Amino acid sequence: MWSYEKRLEFPVNIKEPNAMLAQAIISQYGGPDGEMGASIRYLSQRYSMPYREVAGLLTDIGTEELAHLEIVAAIVHQLTRNLSMEEIEKCGFANYYVDHTVGVWPQAASGFPFTAAQFQVTGDPITDLMEDMAAEQKARTTYDNILRLVKEPDVCEPIKFLRMREIVHFQRFGEALRITQDKLDSRNFYAFNPAFDRCEDCGCD
Amino acid sequence: MHEHFKDNDCDKFPIAMAYVPWQEFDGMYDDLEKAYCAGTIFPELDKPFTGRRCVS
Amino acid sequence: MREREQLLRDIGMADFVLIELALYLDTHPHDRRAQEYFNHYNRIKNQMEKEFSQKYFPLNLRLTDCGKEWRWGEAPLPWEGECA
Repeated sequence: MWSYEKRLEFPVNIKEPNAMLAQAIISQYGGPDGEMGASIRYLSQRYSMPYREVAGLLTDIGTEELAHLEIVAAIVHQLTRNLSMEEIEKCGFANYYVDHTVGVWPQAASGFPFTAAQFQVTGDPITDLMEDMAAEQKARTTYDNILRLVKEPDVCEPIKFLRMREIVHFQRFGEALRITQDKLDSRNFYAFNPAFDRCEDCGCD
Repeated sequence: MHEHFKDNDCDKFPIAMAYVPWQEFDGMYDDLEKAYCAGTIFPELDKPFTGRRCVS
Repeated sequence: MREREQLLRDIGMADFVLIELALYLDTHPHDRRAQEYFNHYNRIKNQMEKEFSQKYFPLNLRLTDCGKEWRWGEAPLPWEGECA
């Protein structure tokens, strides 16, 4: 189960509102490669992971992604809370504002709502770990793209932190894949699904 | 053949699979503020973004 | 930076070290050196968290002790930042 620490994993202190940046950064909240998808993906995959150490890693990284979700929301909130009506109209923020005012709602930069279709839980350990490694790289690329847009240091700092976490997570999922490989027969890693098949080709059903 | 591809590794890493090298703990940053701002305590995982579009 | 903000940042840094070491130990469970670093920073973080919670506001429910009022509700919300 979860407990809550009343602080952010990395501080967010943004002085100036900026609707343009908020519209881009919100993609890391509810977008296709964002933190909401990441956390629910890992926390959902762990139930069908047959290896305890890998399920443990999925739990710990999934939990950290919830903390990242909170940081992204704090960034979007601080970029929009003091927007004037003039800024809302001039920066193309009116379409979001009309449905959500300056609330934080999980969507991509395109406006596409968060959906479970953004991630998979295949129930096969090798496949799920490959999905996780790809997810971390997609998130890193999205942060690279955000960094090209951002000039303000107080926005840059938490974004750079979040980006580096994706690289570290990629390494950990890669190691989890090595652990999984070590438990299987390297002559054929794909002979069976260790999360589902009870035996290899024993002719029982 | 790539110069870093060793024959004896062939047996350990069969094809049709991907392998990430193991991290070996070589110590962490002494300067915690630096590690915190970087987003990792491990110098070997500290890989910052320095790309620029620069289309003229 | 004010004393309260600096202590909160120090707690954040110590806890970040623990998160990094926990993920590393998840895939390297027998690494003695990493285990020792973990125990060391865990002690430091617990001490600072207790000090912060007594002096300013409780950082989690476990550190909330109810004297005359419900202190858990006193804490500023973490997403407001210092520029509010």
